[in-house]
Amino acid sequence: MSAVEFALIAFVLACGVATAMLRDVLAAIIAFAAYSLGIAVIWILLRAPDVGLTEAAVGAGVTTVLFLLTIAKTVRPAGERTLERIDLPALGVAVVLVGILATTLGALPPVGGAETPVITSEVTQYYLDNAYTETEVKNAVTAVLAGYRGFDTLGEAVVVYAAGVGILVVLQREVFA
Amino acid sequence: MSDASANGAPSNDETESDERTVRPYVESPIIMATVRVVAPFVFTFGLFIMFHGADSSGGGFQGGVIVGTVILMLGIAFGIEPTREWVDPRTLVSLVGVGVLVFLVIGFGTVVAGGGFLDYDAVDIYHANKYGIELVELAIGVIVSGIITGLFFAIAAGASGGESA
Repeated sequence: MSAVEFALIAFVLACGVATAMLRDVLAAIIAFAAYSLGIAVIWILLRAPDVGLTEAAVGAGVTTVLFLLTIAKTVRPAGERTLERIDLPALGVAVVLVGILATTLGALPPVGGAETPVITSEVTQYYLDNAYTETEVKNAVTAVLAGYRGFDTLGEAVVVYAAGVGILVVLQREVFA
Repeated sequence: MSDASANGAPSNDETESDERTVRPYVESPIIMATVRVVAPFVFTFGLFIMFHGADSSGGGFQGGVIVGTVILMLGIAFGIEPTREWVDPRTLVSLVGVGVLVFLVIGFGTVVAGGGFLDYDAVDIYHANKYGIELVELAIGVIVSGIITGLFFAIAAGASGGESA
């Protein structure tokens, strides 16, 4: 693991813990935005720029603004302490859950390994070989999203649409106001 | 330990808790000037991500979010209420609907033309595949940016209106 990767993982972990521990909601939101930014950079390092772009735009950008608007109605917690008291039973549950999940880590292939199912799969090879000739777009991710798996993408777009309609229905309004 | 438990108990000094003033909007010439300069570039960048998603990383979802961010920036700089009136919430809702319709029309249009669903080649246009995918990305971008902006307005209305159920 290179120094950059190590520093990034340490940064993301620290931001995650800070998000959980900080008592001031505003501070927690800022820590959460920093966490998202760190994750976005990690995606870039893992050669997933599309996912990184989404994480940076949605996680670090828009979500932060929406959270900030939401907490405008809250009040600061009384008292001087900066950090929340640790709830030991909850911490225990979290540690056990992470421990159970961590046992599966050994089964994962190394990052960038040539033997991973994704690389050796026929489907991947088919996309990489034929995406440009069949869909005429150079980005294989877009070719899969809007070409080969266009029906799934329609579903995703409709989910976003349905989320907006759902909010309007719940608020009993006809426009976003 | 005694200190921690004392603080953990529900505090009686409610009068001392400094309530954050419910004012999401702060009129600041610095923010206004910055947004004025930055907004066109962010908007262009969002459109670039949307259109160029076919040849580089990005696409409708990411580009739509970035375009939506422009409206969020304007709302933060010039006040959410004036921005909402400028955008007109009705345009927003119809825009989102149009986005979904465009996607559906492209999808079923290719079926009508004799191909499969989203089988762009069925339509007899030069580079139908490429332009079809670009159009789909644009439709996704319109949906996403509309919903992002709508969420922003809806939450802001809840924060200032105080007419929550």
